[in-house]
Amino acid sequence: MGLELYLPLVAAGPDFSTLPQQLTNGLILGSIYALIALGYTMVYGVLRLINFAHGEVYMLGAYTALLVSWAFGFAPTSPGDPKASVLVLAVMLLASMVVCAAVGAVIEYLAYRPMRKQSRISALITAIGVSLLLQYGGALFLPASPPPTISGKVDPFASIATLTLSPPPADLVDAEEAARAELAARETSLEQTMEAEGVRNQFDLSPEGKEVLQAKQAAEREVNRTAGAVETGSITIKLPQNRLVILGTVVGLMAALWFLVMKTKTGRSMRAASHDFESASLMGINVNRVVSITFMIGSALAGAGAMMNATFTGTSLTTFYGLLPGVKAFVAAVLGGIGNIPGAVLGGLIMGLAEELSVWAGFSGYKDAVAFIILIVVLLFRPGGLLGSSKVEKV
Amino acid sequence: MSQHVLEVKNATIRFGGLTAVNNVSFQLNKGDLFGLIGPNGAGKTTCFNLITGVYKPTEGTILFQGSSIGGLRPHHIAKRGISRTFQNIRLFNSLSVVENVMIGGQLRHKTAMASAFFHLPSAIKETAELRAKAMDLLEVMDLADSANSRSIDLPYGKQRRLEIARAMATQPDLILLDEPAAGMNPQEKEELMRAVRRIRDEFEKTVLLIEHDMRFVMNLCERIVVLDRGEEIAAGPPEAIRNDPKVIEAYLGEAV
Amino acid sequence: MKFWTVRLLSVAAAFAFAFAMQGLGSVIGDDYAYRVINVSGIFITLAVSLNLINGITGQFSIGHAAFYQVGAYVTGYMTLKMFDPGGMHPTLWLIMMMFVGAVAAGLLGLVVGLPSLRLRGDYLAIVTLGFNEIIRIISTNIPEVGGAAGFNIKPKIVEPWLIWMLAVICIALSRNLLKNAHGLTFWAVREDEVASSAMGVNNTRIKVVAFVVGSALAGAAGVLYGHFEGFLDPKVFGMQQSFIILTMVVLGGTGSITGSALAAVFLTVLPEYLRDLKDPTGNELALNGGGIIGVFAASILMIWAVKRMKTMFPVKGRNRSLAEVGAHLVPWALVPLLNAVLASTPLAANTYRVSELRMVFFALVLILVMQLRPSGVFGHHEFSWNWLKSLFSRFRKEQTA
Repeated sequence: MGLELYLPLVAAGPDFSTLPQQLTNGLILGSIYALIALGYTMVYGVLRLINFAHGEVYMLGAYTALLVSWAFGFAPTSPGDPKASVLVLAVMLLASMVVCAAVGAVIEYLAYRPMRKQSRISALITAIGVSLLLQYGGALFLPASPPPTISGKVDPFASIATLTLSPPPADLVDAEEAARAELAARETSLEQTMEAEGVRNQFDLSPEGKEVLQAKQAAEREVNRTAGAVETGSITIKLPQNRLVILGTVVGLMAALWFLVMKTKTGRSMRAASHDFESASLMGINVNRVVSITFMIGSALAGAGAMMNATFTGTSLTTFYGLLPGVKAFVAAVLGGIGNIPGAVLGGLIMGLAEELSVWAGFSGYKDAVAFIILIVVLLFRPGGLLGSSKVEKV
Repeated sequence: MSQHVLEVKNATIRFGGLTAVNNVSFQLNKGDLFGLIGPNGAGKTTCFNLITGVYKPTEGTILFQGSSIGGLRPHHIAKRGISRTFQNIRLFNSLSVVENVMIGGQLRHKTAMASAFFHLPSAIKETAELRAKAMDLLEVMDLADSANSRSIDLPYGKQRRLEIARAMATQPDLILLDEPAAGMNPQEKEELMRAVRRIRDEFEKTVLLIEHDMRFVMNLCERIVVLDRGEEIAAGPPEAIRNDPKVIEAYLGEAV
Repeated sequence: MKFWTVRLLSVAAAFAFAFAMQGLGSVIGDDYAYRVINVSGIFITLAVSLNLINGITGQFSIGHAAFYQVGAYVTGYMTLKMFDPGGMHPTLWLIMMMFVGAVAAGLLGLVVGLPSLRLRGDYLAIVTLGFNEIIRIISTNIPEVGGAAGFNIKPKIVEPWLIWMLAVICIALSRNLLKNAHGLTFWAVREDEVASSAMGVNNTRIKVVAFVVGSALAGAAGVLYGHFEGFLDPKVFGMQQSFIILTMVVLGGTGSITGSALAAVFLTVLPEYLRDLKDPTGNELALNGGGIIGVFAASILMIWAVKRMKTMFPVKGRNRSLAEVGAHLVPWALVPLLNAVLASTPLAANTYRVSELRMVFFALVLILVMQLRPSGVFGHHEFSWNWLKSLFSRFRKEQTA
């Protein structure tokens, strides 16, 4: 059973029939970015610290998912043929979230807490140090070469639903059917010729036989051409089921986060600390606890995103797995207005869509640059990000 | 042509729905020692921020020596000849006391930046001159003995005086002092009062100051404007202000 | 005339130093060490020029590698297309290219700086980081400069003395600035923008000058790097590189020219030095899993112990100094200890050569220095003969006390 890899369609130019597909891809990619961006933005909101190690927490989440799947017998070397089950996925998700939460809390306690009274640039350098330490230190202990992949067998949601937005014109469909019928006929006659000449290999055919072969090959090309025309003539969205699972989980986690931040006492302390750290601590809020919880929640969300991305897209893991998603999610957080939770979600979605659209428009070489171009343009016009406010300094 | 040093005409500024300063007008003549008082939140510091270009007035005009400065950027206004101190002291903390004053003096000097990068004789000479001038000012403000300590290590009262010295170094025509006596003991206040008078009499500056200490303002200033909730409620010499029922009400209202 | 005598002598000294460094390279005779030494010269320029922007003017730029790359690529392309070996002397051409690269990077600095310097703190940081990535990605998409595969610059023009001359120029420009009244306005912008503008300082102008001069110097460094190596890999100019330059500035002490320069040499040489470390028997140094655990345990213990010593000996003096030295050193005994004790346990199943661990150590050094000396090794101090004298006299006083 092959896993449908998450490969953006490489189009030669703007082809509007693939646009809905790319938008859907972008939305799902963006929801993962949003999940990671939440961690950046929450930590920044409370501590005014850019947690550069967040991408590495994400990386560790992916590895946790990998190791859990191996524990369930999905390792390439393990014997037997384990069945995909939702339970295994749930355990992987939970383990990733728990491990990431723990790692986030430990990083905060050991590395960032002592830096809290120091200048922000010192804290930032510490964050870069932690990030490098996890990248290179992780490579000592984690299976990294050759880069392992979470087995596709884990995924019970691999079936693909095809959503047809606009059916292909009837004449194109007819042409394809005709071409296929022609091909079938040519194949039959080729078989008959081979049997008649008594050869097993097409290369051994007589000159007359070769002509039959060439006719069959021409029919094949015709089938490909007409099938292509049908595909460009219709607008469909191929949606692997697991994409829907990603989207559903992201929405669920965000709803849980919203509830936690807006409706619970802990959430109220977090908002207070984010509003004014000093006053919050004077008002009897245990800021150390709030900071720990913030790191744990942000890291757990990154862990969930990592587990889903690594499991459902089948990309291979190295200890640098978190670098690029981390940077992009950070850009997403800044784009939305860093420190602002809805902003991070909006920023993540914009980032995902922009990336897929740039691929769709034929600039796949620049897809990693698009994020930054958007960011710079937005910041020039709204220096506080899309939903952020640029505070006027009190004089 | 009767020209005022500073003329604030119907200045108004709104932040969103809040009108911080509403339709305030006053004039300063050359050599005035002018007080701006009012209860907390009356808009005094906001007035200073309007005059020095930190904020742009929503309405109204501000004329300095006859030409409009409303909306100019702070460093342009400083160049025209207005200097200020800050309510919450804003010194260049990690620099030494004399360096703080030299930065003020920098404004009136004219060697190109390039000469500094290449350490040319002109830049060396100018730096020496600035240092000498700064030392003179420190002498006036009685800070010469701590010239080389870091400004953040100074005691509070000295920091306030250093702010005045730094403002003086820009060679302004008008100097704005934002609560210069805050946090000082009576003796320090006495010394400060003498220093402010010296600035006016000896250096011939026009002085506009915000102060909470009534005794300080009444003894020092010759004319006073009173603000309350962004509006001007009284103006005149200290004796008139002292007995103005509206002023008494504004202050008592605050006390209750 | 005393001024010009001193000036002439210092220029002569600079040349003497530059050629001495070039000589040092050939005396060593080891190609690899020769390369590391000269690359560290390039990093001095990069770190000191970033210090002008980040340390002295207080702007948060984390995309310095972009300007470095632009200098290298623009002039590399010009050399490839326009250099005529029979025409101009290569050294002269390289000097000319240094100016071209500096101007190109400086112009880019102006284009980036003018709009973005009104952003504050973290926002400026992310914009500079973004420009860094954009420039790098553009370079990997242009086939004329080799695309993602890398850019071959032909011919190589290797003039190590120019590398050192540039480093000296860069240090001299920064130091000159700080010696003069103009330099104070840069500090003023860093300390408090509201107050500096009230003192008539045009903040934007100061920031742009710092940004453009810093970028131009980084561009010139790129020119020398490109022609020295003869091959440019666009990956070398990514944000990781910018982080490393930033790290040099912060580790040395933000604002300290001396600190930036020394940290540049230290951080360039350290990973390469670790690569070649041998154990007493002449084998490549290696640690087992126990040793690695020891490294982490020792790091945590060291931080704890150093902080504890400060509270145990509140008075600075001989006892405090001894205690601090002890707290810094003693925990590291854990490394060989655990390396030996745990050798027979499953924890020690793998061995790691120190050359594999060098980036881990690099990261640890970063974290440890920030925990123990958050304002960098040099803080705000600069090297000066007076400083050295006062250090000695303090040391003597402690000895007699």
